[in-house]
Amino acid sequence: MRNKQLFYGILVILALLLAACGGATQAPVEAPAVEEPAAEEPAAEEPAAEEPAAEEPAGEVVLNMGMQGKPDTLNPAYAFLTESYTVFDLIYSPLTTEAPTGEYVGGLAKEWSVSEDGLTWTFTLKDNIKWHNGEALTADQVAWAIDAVIADPDGWAAMSGYVGGFSEVTAPDDKTVQVVTESPIANMEYRLSFLYAVYPPDFEVFTTPEDLQNFTNFEAIGTGPFKINTFDKDTGVLILDANADYFDGAPKLDRVIMQTFDNADAMIQALKVGDIDLINELPASAFTTVQGYEGVSTISYPGRYFNELIINSVDPANDPAPTGNPALADPAVRLAIETAINRQDIVDIVLQGLATVGDTIVPPTLGGGFWHNPNIQRVEFNLEEASRILEEAGYVAGSDGVRTKDDMRLEFRLQFPSDNTVYPRMADMIADWFNQAGMKVNPEAVDPDALVAATTPAGDYDLVLWGWGPDPDPDFILSVMTTDQFVDGGWSDSGYHNPEYDQMYLDQQLLVDDKERQAVIWEMQEMVYSDRPYIVLYYENLLQAYRSDRFTGFVESPLGIEIGLSMINVEPVQ
Amino acid sequence: MNERWILFKRNVTDFWRTFRRNKLGLIGAVLVLSAVLVAVFAPAFSPYKPTDVIRDENGRGLTFAPPSVHGPLGTDDAGRDVWTQLVYGARISIMVGFLAGFIAMFIGSLFGITAGYYGGSVDTLLMRITDILLVIPDLPLMLVLVATMRQMDLHISPLIVLVIVIGLLYWTSTARLIRSQVLTIKERQFVARARAIGAGHAHIIRKHILPQIMPLIVANTVLILSTAILVESGLAFLGLGDPTQPSWGTMLNFAFDRSAITNGAWWFYLPPGFAIVWVTLGCVLLGNVLEEMLNPRLTEHHLEGEQHMVSLPDAQSLSGSGSEAVS
Repeated sequence: MRNKQLFYGILVILALLLAACGGATQAPVEAPAVEEPAAEEPAAEEPAAEEPAAEEPAGEVVLNMGMQGKPDTLNPAYAFLTESYTVFDLIYSPLTTEAPTGEYVGGLAKEWSVSEDGLTWTFTLKDNIKWHNGEALTADQVAWAIDAVIADPDGWAAMSGYVGGFSEVTAPDDKTVQVVTESPIANMEYRLSFLYAVYPPDFEVFTTPEDLQNFTNFEAIGTGPFKINTFDKDTGVLILDANADYFDGAPKLDRVIMQTFDNADAMIQALKVGDIDLINELPASAFTTVQGYEGVSTISYPGRYFNELIINSVDPANDPAPTGNPALADPAVRLAIETAINRQDIVDIVLQGLATVGDTIVPPTLGGGFWHNPNIQRVEFNLEEASRILEEAGYVAGSDGVRTKDDMRLEFRLQFPSDNTVYPRMADMIADWFNQAGMKVNPEAVDPDALVAATTPAGDYDLVLWGWGPDPDPDFILSVMTTDQFVDGGWSDSGYHNPEYDQMYLDQQLLVDDKERQAVIWEMQEMVYSDRPYIVLYYENLLQAYRSDRFTGFVESPLGIEIGLSMINVEPVQ
Repeated sequence: MNERWILFKRNVTDFWRTFRRNKLGLIGAVLVLSAVLVAVFAPAFSPYKPTDVIRDENGRGLTFAPPSVHGPLGTDDAGRDVWTQLVYGARISIMVGFLAGFIAMFIGSLFGITAGYYGGSVDTLLMRITDILLVIPDLPLMLVLVATMRQMDLHISPLIVLVIVIGLLYWTSTARLIRSQVLTIKERQFVARARAIGAGHAHIIRKHILPQIMPLIVANTVLILSTAILVESGLAFLGLGDPTQPSWGTMLNFAFDRSAITNGAWWFYLPPGFAIVWVTLGCVLLGNVLEEMLNPRLTEHHLEGEQHMVSLPDAQSLSGSGSEAVS
């Protein structure tokens, strides 16, 4: 009978282990490296089903796509997750859109021109544009969609950044849209590419910003190549049907099904066995293995996302007063910190070599490399040099090996968001190097919301590891370093405050000539690089995989598979 | 003093003699003790530090190296020795488990003794609190608690958060068990006599009740340890541990998040799983045997020698009451 007891004991343990495993597949997993400090992240995501919900009638061509997150809303006024924008690219059309080459081509607009004074942009719409419900699209409706954003920037929080400097949008006739601005705008095409033409009757009814933002728009009506069949928010399964009336030609697919997976391994297994045909974002740790799968093609392109070490640069006069270690204000300490980080090693080990060593806040992929300053002299990793710099600046090692100068001790908090397993790996490596150079860091995983609160505008940190996914135009990522973004809900987390930089940021917005704008932007990068509010560690590669034995015709750009264009172009392998 | 020492020594010798006869108990003790030893002397078991990156001759980090390429258990996603992680992980897992287990034991005993001894409205109040905690599903409650405590900006380590949350939730079975035992003890004659000659409540509890239920507390603590270690692993696996202080659960969390399954890196996720089974199985075996030996209701009466005072007809009822105590 003792044996029986033991047997039960083991059963209990196995059951508990299984229970733990069962729970884990439901762990919230968020898309890596996308930092949205100001966005109110929805609370932990609900467990998602990992099975396709719809059965496929014979003869229909269906492409299944796996994602690791799901759209929180399909309302462009208040969408902050990457997944929402992937869907917008399929169901909505803006006036202009970015081509795979990085140039801007017409979306709804056939052609456009700008007036002599640079203040009036005139767009001529393409013919035969229809809404998903069959109605014809009019220029009035396009103008209304942009005017709504101008009129209610609080409600249209996610889009309001793109209409800065717009005074009014009008429709002089049925095929013409006119955008009038207060001053010349350098990146008009880029801005318009995010201003989706929403269906006015759906949005006209809202009177307060809150009502507008609470609208989920799960039955969105657009003009894009696909229309929404169903979206189940709980399971994260989104079914899109081809729009046969699409103005640029109907897609060759009949249907696209997007599925949400909570666990990357489960998603990869689904690709391996053919349950899904496309993975939009593949984790670096699995890439090499997926490359070896039969019938699967992988794509690795230098991407836009970068990760950085944030050094507390908050103005001591800030209210509330920052709590950062005062030694961090010393340029010598900042230089030593950068010298003590082996970026290549981080790339090789943490990202399996699938990233590029970083330097400036403008990744080389923006505008095909046009905006990235290639002349920056990157500080190379050298631990002896780091020690020498600190020694020369007067920081002497104490009995415990940690350097001090007067009452400044080189011991720092190193915080990182707890929702991503890349950061603790980097933090451990950095702690090790710093230790050898005579600096002590205490790594600490912090809840992402708590970290947002600690950085902006409290300045309650020393060093933070985090990442950004910049827009195709450098304007956004440059704005992150401006002084007036260091407010509650603002984008600045470093607290970098440099009036000269702020002025240049305003200047570049007005420079319509790309060459002149480039010169200013290069100088701004130089400035940020040498002041070191950020130490940009690497630019992450964009990793994707698809079943090449089933589908062909994916449109690749320097930014990976262009989902919007690919879904129009993809067809089954014969 | 000397007399006491002799008495203590005799007790321990007696205990050991009985314990030695029980094979399962011995196995349990060996499993638990070996894990504790490894945890305490972790540096002696591995030439590396947990954060050391293993490199090949060209200085490149070896990630996901199988055991055939490196060390007894290969390397993980960050090129670190899995055996070293396992050995140092024992420290965190066992420490969190023990601390949480002791907190649970302390609260459970306090509630159980107070409720059982004072009875009446005190009993009702304390037992209703216990009931409420018993019926709330543990895992969701803990997930919410840990997440909330982490957001509160308390500046305490995630590990302490785990200890507090587990400790504050897993005392209910102990409280019920001890209360029932106290209920019978307080009616015994020696308690009545002590009360008759004017002993205070504190004295009676300390001198007469506590020694009687101490064995039960000890046995129950060992059982709670296994639960605490399992729960810690579960929570750490869900990403609520401290990634800078890897425990076995955290190792599993990294293995899952960093594609160990896709890479076929079984040497990364199987060892921590076995380690958890190792310790919890040890605790369960040890706890069951200790309970059997120490619980006065499950053993022979001291007046009866070899014979049983109460009838213990078959082992069926024995194992039945034993498992009841576990749950």
